[in-house]
Amino acid sequence: MKTVAEFEIKYCQFLDAAGSLAAGAPPLASDTAELLKMYRFMTLVRAFDTKAVNLQRTGKLGTYASCLGHEAAHVGVAAAMHPEDVLIPVYREFGSQIWRGVKMSTILTFWGGDERGCDYTTAREDFPWCVPIATQMLHGAGVAMAMKIRGQKRCSVTFIGDGGTSEGAFYEAINLAGARALPAVFVIVNNDWAISVPIEQQTATKTLAQKAIAAGIPGVQVDGNDVIAIRHITSEAVARARRGEGPTLIEALTYRLGDHTTADDASRYRDQSEVKEAWGKEPLLRLRSHLMKLRVWDEAREGALKAECAREVEAAVDEYLSAPKPSTDEMFDHLFANPPKGLAEQREVARRYANGHHAAGHGAGHGRNGSDGH
Amino acid sequence: MTTFNLPDLGEGLAEAEIVRWHVNVGDAVTVDQPMLAVETAKAVVEVPAPFSGIVKTLYGQPGDVIATGAPLIDFESVKGARNSSADAGTVVGNMPTSDTELIETAHAGSNYNRNNGTTNFPAGRLRAAPAARALAKRLGVDLTGLNGSGRGGVIIVDDVITHSSPIARSNTTPGASSATAARPSFEGGEKLRGLRRAMSQSMSLARDNVTNCTLFDDADLHHWRKGQDITTRLLRAIATGCQAEPALNAWFDGNTQSRRLMPRVDVGIAVDTGDGLIVPVIRDVGNRTTAELRQDIDRLKRAARDRTVTPEDLRDVTFTLSNFGMIAGRYATPVVVPPMVAILGSGRLSRDVIAVNDGVEAHLRMPLSLTFDHRCVTGGEAARFLATVLRDLEKDT
Amino acid sequence: MAKVTMIEAINRAHAWEMTHDPTVVVLGEDIGINGGVFRATAGLQEQFGKDRVQDTPLAEGMIAGMAIGMATQGLKPVAEIQFMGFIYPALDQIANHMARMRNRTRGRLTCPVVMRMPHGGGIHAPEHHSESLEAMLAHHAGLRVVCPSSPARAYGLLLASIRDPDPVIFLEPARLYRLVKQEVADDGQALPLDVCYRLREGSDVTVVTWGAMVTETLRAADTLESEGVSCEVLDLATLSPIDHDTILESVVKTGRLVIVHEAPRNCGIGAEIAATVAEHGLYDLNAPIRRVAGYDTIMPLARLEYDYIPNAARIMDAVRETLAA
Repeated sequence: MKTVAEFEIKYCQFLDAAGSLAAGAPPLASDTAELLKMYRFMTLVRAFDTKAVNLQRTGKLGTYASCLGHEAAHVGVAAAMHPEDVLIPVYREFGSQIWRGVKMSTILTFWGGDERGCDYTTAREDFPWCVPIATQMLHGAGVAMAMKIRGQKRCSVTFIGDGGTSEGAFYEAINLAGARALPAVFVIVNNDWAISVPIEQQTATKTLAQKAIAAGIPGVQVDGNDVIAIRHITSEAVARARRGEGPTLIEALTYRLGDHTTADDASRYRDQSEVKEAWGKEPLLRLRSHLMKLRVWDEAREGALKAECAREVEAAVDEYLSAPKPSTDEMFDHLFANPPKGLAEQREVARRYANGHHAAGHGAGHGRNGSDGH
Repeated sequence: MTTFNLPDLGEGLAEAEIVRWHVNVGDAVTVDQPMLAVETAKAVVEVPAPFSGIVKTLYGQPGDVIATGAPLIDFESVKGARNSSADAGTVVGNMPTSDTELIETAHAGSNYNRNNGTTNFPAGRLRAAPAARALAKRLGVDLTGLNGSGRGGVIIVDDVITHSSPIARSNTTPGASSATAARPSFEGGEKLRGLRRAMSQSMSLARDNVTNCTLFDDADLHHWRKGQDITTRLLRAIATGCQAEPALNAWFDGNTQSRRLMPRVDVGIAVDTGDGLIVPVIRDVGNRTTAELRQDIDRLKRAARDRTVTPEDLRDVTFTLSNFGMIAGRYATPVVVPPMVAILGSGRLSRDVIAVNDGVEAHLRMPLSLTFDHRCVTGGEAARFLATVLRDLEKDT
Repeated sequence: MAKVTMIEAINRAHAWEMTHDPTVVVLGEDIGINGGVFRATAGLQEQFGKDRVQDTPLAEGMIAGMAIGMATQGLKPVAEIQFMGFIYPALDQIANHMARMRNRTRGRLTCPVVMRMPHGGGIHAPEHHSESLEAMLAHHAGLRVVCPSSPARAYGLLLASIRDPDPVIFLEPARLYRLVKQEVADDGQALPLDVCYRLREGSDVTVVTWGAMVTETLRAADTLESEGVSCEVLDLATLSPIDHDTILESVVKTGRLVIVHEAPRNCGIGAEIAATVAEHGLYDLNAPIRRVAGYDTIMPLARLEYDYIPNAARIMDAVRETLAA
């Protein structure tokens, strides 16, 4: 037998867990303005995430999917995008969304049980969160198809988790993107755990990046905790897509430091020692070391940044909590551009029964879903 | 000769164009041998021989368009041939196809609004609750022109009951718009319940359905020996009468015009209770001894008064006996309750002065009143029945 | 005006709208050079190019999912699923995203997608090719479900569906694709959605039906007329949302209702119509409502399919029973 095709999967890391920079790092590694901007967003996202979990624990937010540990992967990808590109997230890519201008109060609005949280004031073509696993991959392909048909120099960037790669839609999307050379970038955030199922039980493949081979597209693995590497690789993929050279599949290796969601208790199925070890590789730590080595960061600035982030998060929380409960009309008014006659009758019934009666059942005086019902 | 018609070569293809023939007239072909190539809307396909045989006729030249189902080839002396139309459509699709032109008018939607629909009802259309319609049908009440008292003028059950009662009838003049006009006050009254309500309903049903005709006569009991049991004698007489005239022991449905002569004489005995009338049934009176009948009568009368009669004791009655004479009254016009066709009433016994030969004598006599449904029982049948009953009753034992 | 079959009418509606609206794109399996398995898209790729008339890889969920992505970018995808029995892989996308996108983003992103597919049996097709699954789709808020019964309505309702700013499931009765021809002006005139079409005026009984059953019902109505029975026949046309007002108006007039559908009776759209008439028109009924529907079994293969699909005889008996009640 002869070999008819051969493949290899590259791994990219510039900044290791200790904060040491590898040789051959791109210019971004010394672009202190960009590095500081990313560090600032990563710090802000962590502050936001911590606060969101606390809001849920105090009955002021619904079920929430923490992004703890994913800050580099999320911020790095968004930083590689152009404003006119389209982001298609899963449900925890808050770092990407905040970078792209989605307000933190808007994010809280959605996770507080209110569809108005999907009506972004910026990045208005970006998709909202996608709960049915992997279905968003096809939206990313479709968005890219529209861009290609219209000859636009833009691309779609779609996230998926490690578990999502087991879904048919994952393969359907990368296969379609490959077959039609779509301007699409697909980023697998491999955080080792799909709720309680570890990656070894999800697939027999050594990497998830190699699944790109089946679709005939480039696949690359990157240290998802190294924001320099993730941004660099994604920038290359975005540029490639925008040049019309087709899609890329990126596997970002990171770790889910938190529970799957606030309704989950990861201690039921994973060893604490593993989590402890993962904390040693978390993304903020190494970037801070690097910035300090570049002499653009110190404890004083760290303290000031944290205080500033806390203020921003508090302002967002205030805005979220002060928003009135949506009108029952909201259930009906956005279903169709041309609503059918019968809906108006049901809207009347909802008006009669929903106001006042049900509001009394809400906790914390905010008229919000106070409990984590899952 | 067998004709092979062009099968549907796709899923619902209307036609195919002949590209080239591989066979000629006179050729012997074997099953599955390619015969011709045709081009359909989907593809160029080879059509194989459906069976072995000799080609007799080829329909069409290359370039001709053949409609699905139209003749393609005639074969002669074929072996194993099957009717081609029976074969078509089992393996491939067979879309119904025609050149029939569809001519239609289609009116889109309407401006109707169900919420103010009451103003839009076409004149003359009745709006009635389903239960009211059902009751009206049962009581034979025509709802036309009735003003409903339900919401939005809907006719409800009460309207039907009111309309069917004699009081309402007497107060409803032709053209009167309301059945409730000049209605007497029932303040302090009561709603009929239980037996009385059942009586009310069955009597209304009888009135509306039966054509009653009553015959009167007297049974001369002068020759009766001591200790005769009036009720059991009556039951025996009825059984004898029914045997002579089976038309009196029958069920009749006027709606379907069907009559059923009942094989057994099961007589309902009207029992007066404080709550109303109840009619338990004595089974098969023609084949029972006097003692058995008496035992049954006593049991059922007791049960009727104790209200312990079972539904089985009330079911499937074929003839009714009303022995009102135990209280008072000589003659009556008893009411036949459908589906039965006859009822016999026995009045108060009395000693009557009657002519005997050339003199007069005082004889004990029992007045009898026989009502029959004249829709299905003739006067002759009824009279002969009554004559038989009289003869049997007048026997000494 | 030309006399065209339903499949030709569908083809013309595509061509008209693609000519007049550059955002319309057509997707599906074998719809390009092959013109679709029923030829609904014949010639379109030649006329409008491979970008706007795209053969997709073979995955129904993918077709629906990519249509969603394209629609949110302002295109109007018209996607073909080859047979309704193959809709299941696409349901995740249709139900979870297509139907919900406008609502969940409060109108920021929308899905003006048309998902076309052949519907129902009667063409002796193989297994999984003859299903009538409209009730399953009608149950999802945010979707319109449309089913034409003539070439003219196929043309007008497809144009309306493409122009509608929200997703439409467009069910094409395969049995009617080439059954008859009708004069249809290729003038770009859409027909209204969300309304019934009264095809026959009558006074004794209202018969509501759709798709291929319209043909059977009209046949039954013709025979019944010779017996002195006057049927009012309504083509439901938009199966969701249902035009209950037109049905009720007709029931108020006739006092009797028979519903005919090819799909199984259990939880069918007929049940929704019957329930609504019971809620709003019970007092106008002279007789119980009757349904003539497919049996609650699996759609049989070709040899029994005509024993499954309601026919004129069943419809006539139901009408007669209603009149006798």
